[in-house]
Amino acid sequence: MSHQPCAVVGVGQTHHKTRRWDVSLGGLVREAATRALEDAQMDWSDIDAVVLGKAPDLFEGVMKPELYLTDALGAHGKPMFRVHTAGSVGATTGIVAAHHVETGRHKRVLAVAYQKQSEGNAQFALGSGRGGSLGAGGAFAPYMRSYIARSGSPLDIGPMVAVKDRLNALKNPYAHLKLTDISLEKVKESPMMWEPVRYLESCPSSDGACAVVLTDEEGGKAAAAAGRAPAWILGTAVRSEPSTFPGRDPVTPQGAFDCADDLYRQAGITNPREQLDCAELYVPFSWYEPMWLEAHRIAEKGRGWKMVESGETALDGDFPVNMSGGVLSSNPIGASGLLRLAEAALQVRGMAGEHQVDGAKVALGQAYGAAAQYFSMWVVASSLDPFGR
Amino acid sequence: MTAPSAGTVEMTIRFPYKRSLGPVIGAFMTGLAGQQILGIRNGSEVMCPPLEWDPKTGKELDHGALVEVGPAGTVVSWTWVPKPSAQHPLDKPFALALIRLDGADTALTHAVDAGSIDAMSTGMRVAPRWKAERQGHITDIEAFVPGEDPQGLDDSRPEEPVTMMPYNAEIPYTLPIAVNTARNAVALKEKRLIGLRCPVCSRTYAGERGFCPIDTTALTAEHEVQLPQTGTLTNYTIITPVQYPGQTETEPFARCMILVDDSDLVIGYQPVIDLPVEQVRVGVRVKLVWGDGDIEGWQPTGEPDVDDPDLVNRIY
Ligand SMILES: [Zn+2]
Repeated sequence: MSHQPCAVVGVGQTHHKTRRWDVSLGGLVREAATRALEDAQMDWSDIDAVVLGKAPDLFEGVMKPELYLTDALGAHGKPMFRVHTAGSVGATTGIVAAHHVETGRHKRVLAVAYQKQSEGNAQFALGSGRGGSLGAGGAFAPYMRSYIARSGSPLDIGPMVAVKDRLNALKNPYAHLKLTDISLEKVKESPMMWEPVRYLESCPSSDGACAVVLTDEEGGKAAAAAGRAPAWILGTAVRSEPSTFPGRDPVTPQGAFDCADDLYRQAGITNPREQLDCAELYVPFSWYEPMWLEAHRIAEKGRGWKMVESGETALDGDFPVNMSGGVLSSNPIGASGLLRLAEAALQVRGMAGEHQVDGAKVALGQAYGAAAQYFSMWVVASSLDPFGR
Repeated sequence: MTAPSAGTVEMTIRFPYKRSLGPVIGAFMTGLAGQQILGIRNGSEVMCPPLEWDPKTGKELDHGALVEVGPAGTVVSWTWVPKPSAQHPLDKPFALALIRLDGADTALTHAVDAGSIDAMSTGMRVAPRWKAERQGHITDIEAFVPGEDPQGLDDSRPEEPVTMMPYNAEIPYTLPIAVNTARNAVALKEKRLIGLRCPVCSRTYAGERGFCPIDTTALTAEHEVQLPQTGTLTNYTIITPVQYPGQTETEPFARCMILVDDSDLVIGYQPVIDLPVEQVRVGVRVKLVWGDGDIEGWQPTGEPDVDDPDLVNRIY
């Protein structure tokens, strides 16, 4: 599959918080988009098309937000697209935007994703408005119990991930949770919400938005020449699978393997553990870090938890995961996937600030959605040919 | 392809949302609470209702450049609403009109209470009729009325700026009932647990499933199988309920996966009966307990637990 190169030249996000009642919905997406344009040194008029993503409309009760937000996103007279793939939507939004550039249809595309959870109630929406809603934690808890049982992981692994990601968040000025006194004991003492998942092993509810500016090879090279490092997209992949059928294994979904395999093939990656420098994975509940390390072939089956236990996935480890603090520290649901892709881009651009991984050249960004049935991933690099192919 | 339907069911989703209004719409709503209509300056134009950004260029407008417009204005277009619904602002026939208020260059959508369609015309002059109880909402103007003079003026002004707007969403749905759903409902009423066995892959699905997602085979009455009403608890979670409008649970409750005997069907997130949350565990043998036309839950049979390390992986 041949296509034209595409580069990330602008990244912006809001300060994620429980409530961003200081801004309208338009003001929220605008804040992220303005920062991305400033980073790209572009103006609204430079953008050819806008791609918008968010999780279900029922979350805020705004139907067709892509129409409502047209003026806030400077999309008048331009193609405007809406993407929806449940919790993975932010990442799919970035990927759809990249495809517009890679096909040569548009030169400069703005991808924006958001959620303003404080305007509604996600647990209500996920339960379709009925009582006794499981919430995402309740739905995923049996998956995590299965992982713990089959991998033989010590029970401390989940809390260890929870601590690591919150420590990383302290280095990220945009992160929502700033738990300066986080510790293993604190996590283990926190209330059991969806057994086996504790309160501090779960993501917060956040208001926030993320925006990314994508451009073609010429734009990426011009940014590099001007001293503004681009992140080159080496591959993008999206997969889905049915939510329920007898024998489905949601701990190692086929869609997760297929998505990763397709992605690595495009990027020329045969050994992800060695060729990737770091990964930003969608981990809304602590146990998802070892689960995705395995289901995306970064760790061998049953060994993902060992990468956590040994400290390999810490910011100063050999394979840092969720340098930004991850979904466990900020979860504006619809934006969360794009935040993963954006963090991967910031890392290979060397622009991640205090949570920068030294010398990161190739990074993975990933998101999943619904009943662990949608997957969206990209690999970005500091050059178009990082492996000297 | 649409599954054949066996009638419909009416349902309504309701939820109270909030809207943070931001600097411009917030000021507009605050103005309404004080019987003032504000527009925003955009170059040589004044836009009412005001926006935060120029809709044509996306440029940020000067949020301090709010100006009072109206109160009277001119109808630039309209349509007559002969039979108002519950969601309309008035409960008698009225016009929905685009009204360009004096001093504004764009039009505001609002109701005109003209009495009859014959009293309506493009170019007619209208003025607001204010509500006595105002909250900083577009409905603080009850409607516009023909003429130059606003009605219901008083001295009441808001004590605080309006920054939030409550929004009570209510969405009625008419859901078609699929044939398999209807047949499954009959079986449940007769206290029969039915499944549908895929003729291609032999997987067994719950009785209301329309298709096998693996091979996209349509599942119909001929694939129906009677299932035993016993099974084994394979996995579970104990949920500490979060409160939200419409939440019915107050105490921690279990939701369990049940592998139905003599089949590969796992029924997900089921309630259990006579099994306290602290005793919920993998391997418990259970039997179905019927409620009124549906499964109420699953109750321990008292048989010894099933000891199988792979059982916990049977989530689906
Ligand atoms: Zn089948």
